[in-house]
Amino acid sequence: MTMCEKIRPQLTAYLDGELADDPGSVVRGHLRECAACRQIARDEAALRDALRMLAPVDPPASLWAGVRGQLAAAEVADARKPRWRRHAARWGRWARSMRWVPTMRQLATASLVAAAAIAVFTWRGQVGNPPPDRIAQPQPEPQRPPPPQHALPAPAIVPSPPSADDVTADLIAEPARTTATYARAIEELMTVAEETRARWSDGDKAAFDAHIAGLRDAITRAGPPRAVQRAQRSLIRYLQGAVVRDDVMLASGGTR
Amino acid sequence: MTDLAEPAPAALAEPRTRVSATLADDAHLIAACRRGEARAMEMLYHQYKRRVFGMAHRIVGGSDAEEVAQEVFVRVFRGLASFRGDSALSTWIYRLTVNAALSHLARRGRRQEIGDDGLTELPAPQPAERDSALAARIETAMAQLPAGYRAILVLHDIEGLSHEECAAILDCRIGTCKSQLHKARARMRELLGPNIGPTP
Repeated sequence: MTMCEKIRPQLTAYLDGELADDPGSVVRGHLRECAACRQIARDEAALRDALRMLAPVDPPASLWAGVRGQLAAAEVADARKPRWRRHAARWGRWARSMRWVPTMRQLATASLVAAAAIAVFTWRGQVGNPPPDRIAQPQPEPQRPPPPQHALPAPAIVPSPPSADDVTADLIAEPARTTATYARAIEELMTVAEETRARWSDGDKAAFDAHIAGLRDAITRAGPPRAVQRAQRSLIRYLQGAVVRDDVMLASGGTR
Repeated sequence: MTDLAEPAPAALAEPRTRVSATLADDAHLIAACRRGEARAMEMLYHQYKRRVFGMAHRIVGGSDAEEVAQEVFVRVFRGLASFRGDSALSTWIYRLTVNAALSHLARRGRRQEIGDDGLTELPAPQPAERDSALAARIETAMAQLPAGYRAILVLHDIEGLSHEECAAILDCRIGTCKSQLHKARARMRELLGPNIGPTP
């Protein structure tokens, strides 16, 4: 094994400051002597620095609204769950948080206990039921006195208006609203792109049209709302890219 | 005979350590979020939105980043009840983000295999606006890396986490983390071609 083969796997650690004293000195010494390894180290350092300097990516403004919508939908779903399922979910969370995994023996014991409990309940049900000849007969309801004549008429039952806090309808309408918002954004961007396409070459125009047709087709073929929105976002991004590239080209004085 | 005076010491690539993110006391914020306080939830969201969205963007690409980030925040808020504080809140959120992003890629791979998505012919995510040509080349090269390499580069080099933190997030040994980073950077160098940095 040559010295280069020994040193190169250590370059990442060396450049990240993880090699001190003798190991670091050996790498440094080799880099002073070997131009090829020095260039690799320089490239990796430039890569590392450029990665550290990458601009952060800002999330879209719609992200928080989407999170809140999903949380509200989940809470509504929770409230509609039967109580036993909420308890079961809580126990499940507790078991996961305790990292408790039942062993085969515990599972077998639990199954036996459950089977025994079912057997006892079934047996008690049979013992507790009276024989058919002793079934209590329904008694005629005692006559109630007629209501006094001066009593006020019973108020008509009016369905209560939906509570202002009930977000169910709002949540149900959310996917359609998002799809419509994306569709409006697409049309606005298409208008901008149409204005700028006058400066494009025929080849660029044809490529643009073909790409747009493909993306629109993807939207049409997408089934569930989230797939439609995903396809819409692809089209929006493509349009934004096309418009931005055109602006950059103009600003730099180039031609398409 | 090698001339030790050449190259000048300044020309050698410099080692540089990164200061690990300080672990703030998030207990109050978590408690308020668990009580459902809207302001606390919004604070937590703003505290992590760039990191979560940025990681998702770089691992799954721009087209699905919003979907993944949304899934992560929903898991964070719904899962705070079971967060035991064994690790820092940030580590836990990073782990959820990486797992959600990698699972999303696996699901997307399956969807594309069976071809019911209709988006298979779409081009790779466009790099977002960058302030330099090198940054744009790096984003493009990163998009071609295997997802695992992308994850370690994002965590260690972009987010600046230590190998210990990366190992906790990726649920692997520190040594594995280091070797993955070395391979990821080597693959990036291959993709970017020679002379990434300034020539001497």
